[in-house]
Amino acid sequence: MTKAIISDIKRFAVHDGDGIRTTVFFKGCPLKCLWCHNPESISFKPQTAFYQNKCIGCGECKKEGFTPKDCLGGARVLYGREISVDELLPILLEDKDFYETSGGGVTLSGGECLCQAEFCAELLKELKLEKVNTAVDTCGFVPRAYIDKVLPYTDTFLYDVKSFDEDVHIKCTGASNKVILENLKYIDSCDGAIEIRIPYVPGFNDSQLEKIADLIKELKNVKAVKILPYHNFAGSKYSALGMKNTLPEELPTEEKIRKAESVFRNID
Amino acid sequence: MFKTLYHDRDTIERKYHIPEEEFDSFKRMAYHGYAYDESTGLDDKEIDAKLSSLSKTLEGEPHPIHKAKLFELVLDNTRIDVNESDYFVGLYTWNRPLSKYTWFKWLHDVHSAFPEAERTVIDLYDSGATQGWLDFDHTVPDWDSLLELGFSGILKRATDSYNELKKKGALTQKQEDFYRGIEIEYNAILRFIDRLHAFALKQTHEKAEKVAKCLEHLRCGGAQDTYDALQIIYLYFMLSESIDNYQVRSLGYGLDGSLYPYFKKDIESGAYTKEDIAELIGYFLMQWSAIGNYWGQPFYLAGTNADGTTKVNELSYLILEVYDKLGLYNPKIQIKVSRATPRDFICRALEMIRHGVSSIVFCNEDVITKCLMANGATYEEACDSVISGCYEYKIKAKSVGISSLYINALKPVSLVFENGFDSFSGKQIGVKTGKIEDFKTFEEFYDAYIQQLEHIILAHIGAHYDFETLVQEINPSLMFSATLPLCVNSLTDALDGGIKNNSSTLLCGLGTAVDAIMAVYELVFEKKVTTLSELKKALENNWEGYEKLRYMALNASHKYGNGDKLSDSYACAITRQVADLVHGRRNSHGGRYQLELHSARMFILHGERTLATPDGRRAGEEMSKNASPTPGADRHGITALINSATSIDATLTDVGFCLDAMLHPSAVQGEDGMEALYAVLQTYMNKGGASIHFNIFNADLLQDAQNNPDKYKNLQVRVCGWNALWNNLDKKEQDAYILRAKNIQ
Repeated sequence: MTKAIISDIKRFAVHDGDGIRTTVFFKGCPLKCLWCHNPESISFKPQTAFYQNKCIGCGECKKEGFTPKDCLGGARVLYGREISVDELLPILLEDKDFYETSGGGVTLSGGECLCQAEFCAELLKELKLEKVNTAVDTCGFVPRAYIDKVLPYTDTFLYDVKSFDEDVHIKCTGASNKVILENLKYIDSCDGAIEIRIPYVPGFNDSQLEKIADLIKELKNVKAVKILPYHNFAGSKYSALGMKNTLPEELPTEEKIRKAESVFRNID
Repeated sequence: MFKTLYHDRDTIERKYHIPEEEFDSFKRMAYHGYAYDESTGLDDKEIDAKLSSLSKTLEGEPHPIHKAKLFELVLDNTRIDVNESDYFVGLYTWNRPLSKYTWFKWLHDVHSAFPEAERTVIDLYDSGATQGWLDFDHTVPDWDSLLELGFSGILKRATDSYNELKKKGALTQKQEDFYRGIEIEYNAILRFIDRLHAFALKQTHEKAEKVAKCLEHLRCGGAQDTYDALQIIYLYFMLSESIDNYQVRSLGYGLDGSLYPYFKKDIESGAYTKEDIAELIGYFLMQWSAIGNYWGQPFYLAGTNADGTTKVNELSYLILEVYDKLGLYNPKIQIKVSRATPRDFICRALEMIRHGVSSIVFCNEDVITKCLMANGATYEEACDSVISGCYEYKIKAKSVGISSLYINALKPVSLVFENGFDSFSGKQIGVKTGKIEDFKTFEEFYDAYIQQLEHIILAHIGAHYDFETLVQEINPSLMFSATLPLCVNSLTDALDGGIKNNSSTLLCGLGTAVDAIMAVYELVFEKKVTTLSELKKALENNWEGYEKLRYMALNASHKYGNGDKLSDSYACAITRQVADLVHGRRNSHGGRYQLELHSARMFILHGERTLATPDGRRAGEEMSKNASPTPGADRHGITALINSATSIDATLTDVGFCLDAMLHPSAVQGEDGMEALYAVLQTYMNKGGASIHFNIFNADLLQDAQNNPDKYKNLQVRVCGWNALWNNLDKKEQDAYILRAKNIQ
């Protein structure tokens, strides 16, 4: 059976699609966004983070055969564990009662979940058999074949659009957005329901908002557009993982957020 | 929204204690507020001297008459006030002056009559295994009778019944004494109203005329308008709590429900506008805000009729609006909810919770109905239940609790480790279940736990059974009983079987008990990282020298509150064991022992008397409250927490249980957040949860509030059955909130 590598499971996720959801964060991402708030899910390999402030000096980590789960203070955290559909499914069904009352369900996110499309398709299929609403949160930077795999079992695509202009996209994420925009149009043409999510990072993609709005106007299956204002809460994760902190300094002000949101109001 | 209330607010806040003085919310009514006109009566010292000498001359009199005459003395002599800044009258002596001449003395007499029971109870108390008392704190009068008949009508109804029984020649001396007591107290109340009325007439301020007119109505009968109704509720509350020594635990049969007919009439007749009523309700609610007792004052709203229609009305919304506008933290609000409750009403309340009003608890009527019917209520009675305390549901005008017996569910774990001996008190409290070192299996350990738990429950109930036989002698319930048609018809004290007398058994610390048992399972038997004898040593040393083991215990995987099937199943199993044990017994008043899963303040008090436990808890630390997990033990969020709590069958208990839910502000912000909060409540109810309240917290903010109390004077937190200002909690209590909040980032 296919196994996936995931970094986390978050229950009671209320901002990852409709209703109360459980979100699975898959590990590994083809993009390198400067503002990434899930740096633990960029690499496809397991990583151990060390949160200095939680260390109680128990010394367990000096012992042979130590694994992060032996850390008594919870300072060493393993991001990245292999899991099968059979193992994951019961966890995702724990909160089924909450999905039902709230119109929620399960969201696959990451990292880029579609880099593990085979697994996602299997999992989504099972979830649909259980009548669970499904959402795929994707950056879109994947081969079209991967999208085809999950299309039949995905109720909503939470689709990230960071930039319309290719050069801005390359600057911010290290990759072209050509495939991303093509895939978006493809999903739209296949009548997949789409929620566009725009990470709003002042100083990086301010200039893109109007253009993205124009792009959205051409699509017919966009159910919602959400501005995700950039935040820097992930700072401690970068240092715990020993990664270089690439987070931009400027935070969006309330006023700027409102202005960004107004671009997408009355888009239909 | 208010014309004069904002201006008058400061004065009302000084009515019961001066805000500048250091205030101890535990000191029941030990304060006086602004100065009262000295010519209106005596001060407390003078009243006490009179009470002392009168009480001596009353030695040997039947207790109802003795008590009533002291009650009369206070009402005839206390100072009074009709203030230019208040629509509600002032009673100077509200510090329970009768207690030492009646209740305390007679309680002592009863305890002395049962020396063996007294010894048992003291031993159990000293060990922290149990704590209990005869209960005069959870009464709800028949508000329908009070509002319809007024104080004079209540007296007349009692007199008619007395004359009827007398004519039949069927009166016993006990009934005669009981009636005399009622007669003395209610006549004293009427004279008190007369005195207030005369005083009001002498005042020249604007409000006096209105107050005088209201008192005129009250002198002659029931409420004629909304204001009268509020004044009756207020007066009954003050006199019962402060002089007659019975706590009153609801304001109306649903404040919205009881007031509505008057409200409707007033609006139709044009006597009042909606704004006028809102303002009066504001003045009314301010009274309890100003009293500010630690345990708070509950009132309930909403509910559902037996025909399935909601009781929510225009006033339900208005009361919430007034409460919210005033930014109160007390009185506390219970909202009875079912599928019929309008979504927008629930969302209005959730909106308040979201912006920091933590005084609201939701009560699931489906569960309450089932619990009450299992206790003999008809469907109609169950639907129409009253809330007589934090989360105690009762049949309207037909049942009352006569004792509250708190059981420390964690203590038996310690007793198992020491073969029934309690190191905290140095006494053999439990049964001999064998040396811990000899236990070979987890099953043996668990079996010993159940034996110890059953032992302390039976010992406690057994001892209290004796005291309960004489509960009516200790504090005759005159004001209260007179409002109840059943008591008046039979001229029998409510606490002497005039209505159904049940005894409450409250299981406290269940979550921590489960964690402790599960830690033994995991560390000793499953992972084998320690042995029972090593664990025993660690506990004896309060984990000192065993830090690693303690962390293993704290990090153990089976903790109640995380949707962990194993620990949840034990929580349910223990509840079932106790329910079977308790429900099999009848009290001496023909009522039942009931099981409740809420802990009042015992999660702190029992915790202080419980030494270190295997879950990693150190000696003296607090335990879990209500049906909630150990502070800091729930790590998987609100959905897992609810899955755990609702795995316990609430209908095994008699009033369900309450869950204390904590959410991070970011999780409930925006429209998505409101939808989610609403769905959380609905799911909790669908899954059979009973009561639930929310704290919307962020650990950083709480930490800041602990460091900078002055910045957070209005920060409120839902504690247990009550709501408190953050700054009124001691550091230990605050720490527990911070610990728990850290898990929900």
